[in-house]
Amino acid sequence: MSDSEPAPDPAVDDGVDGEGTLSRPASDRPPYVESTIIMTTVRVIAPFVLTLGAFVMLHGASSAGGGFQGGVIAATTVVMLGFAFGIEPIAAHLRNEHLALLVLSGVGTFLIVGFGGYLVGGNFLQVSGYETLFKDGSKYSIELVEVGIGVVVSGVITGLFFLLGTGVDAGADDSDSEADR
Amino acid sequence: MSLSVPVAVVLLFMLGSALAAAVLRDVVGSIVAFAGYSFGVAVLWALLRAPDVALTEAAVGAGITTVLFLLTIARTSVSRSERFEGISLRSGLAVVAIVVTVGATVPALPPVGASGTPVLAGDVSQYYLTNAYDQTGVTNVVTAVLVGYRGFDTLGEVAVVFAAGVAMLLVLRREAFV
Repeated sequence: MSDSEPAPDPAVDDGVDGEGTLSRPASDRPPYVESTIIMTTVRVIAPFVLTLGAFVMLHGASSAGGGFQGGVIAATTVVMLGFAFGIEPIAAHLRNEHLALLVLSGVGTFLIVGFGGYLVGGNFLQVSGYETLFKDGSKYSIELVEVGIGVVVSGVITGLFFLLGTGVDAGADDSDSEADR
Repeated sequence: MSLSVPVAVVLLFMLGSALAAAVLRDVVGSIVAFAGYSFGVAVLWALLRAPDVALTEAAVGAGITTVLFLLTIARTSVSRSERFEGISLRSGLAVVAIVVTVGATVPALPPVGASGTPVLAGDVSQYYLTNAYDQTGVTNVVTAVLVGYRGFDTLGEVAVVFAAGVAMLLVLRREAFV
């Protein structure tokens, strides 16, 4: 509800009274403000956050957690780096092929485990069938699926972050020209 | 239903931040209040002994959603204001109507943690609780159900996440994430 507010907001304020209101269009704001405190903090805690994400992802079978949560926490590392060092410089270090490969490999892992169920004599995604292949096969295939989920989630969230955070002007121009036509 | 002090405090915090999110005129402040509300929900899940849901709510609801909201708001003109949103009579009536309608269903719910509810006493949940470890080798029943018993559902969820990424590319008319 509050998200639809900003568009009519400035007009209303200008009409009634401009008191206590500071409205800045996106073009006036600096895209990135360097802060030593944020950069240092992120540099210190980023490895721990990434480790926590991996732990939650891998330990979902034995405690609270799983691929969805772990993937989001792992992706938070990139988000933090983006806030600390600027989104554009971080994006310059990443390549689209890598992110797409990350997402596709996660979906592929899930599907391979799913179709592998047929090979071990069960049904689609019947993880208990893997018990015949090796000891604790069911558990390890579940964990493999969780890692696949985590990889998909972290890849997509990193992608969404960069999609929304980079190329502000290009996106705005594009939509404007479309609206004019 | 007995209301323990921590749960009551968290509920009060949630109520306050929900009101702030709705009423604050400052959009950034509203987003922060919404994040606070999500965090309250996460703490509430943890207090109600649902750590898996609490972790998801904290990571997705309070964390990433806030970041995406802020990034979206950063693309528009931000109005900073110290005043509150004016509440019109119509929206006030709508809120009262919704609260009364939803509130009327609350007495029909079983007390929190009641032992006789289908969730706890039903055959399906008991089956999972009894057999999950033997059949899947996984000690966390939530994970066992998510991947072991309801793997197809989870595959659908992964497809939804994948589709969200693709849909975002389509909506913003971009061909690459970065």
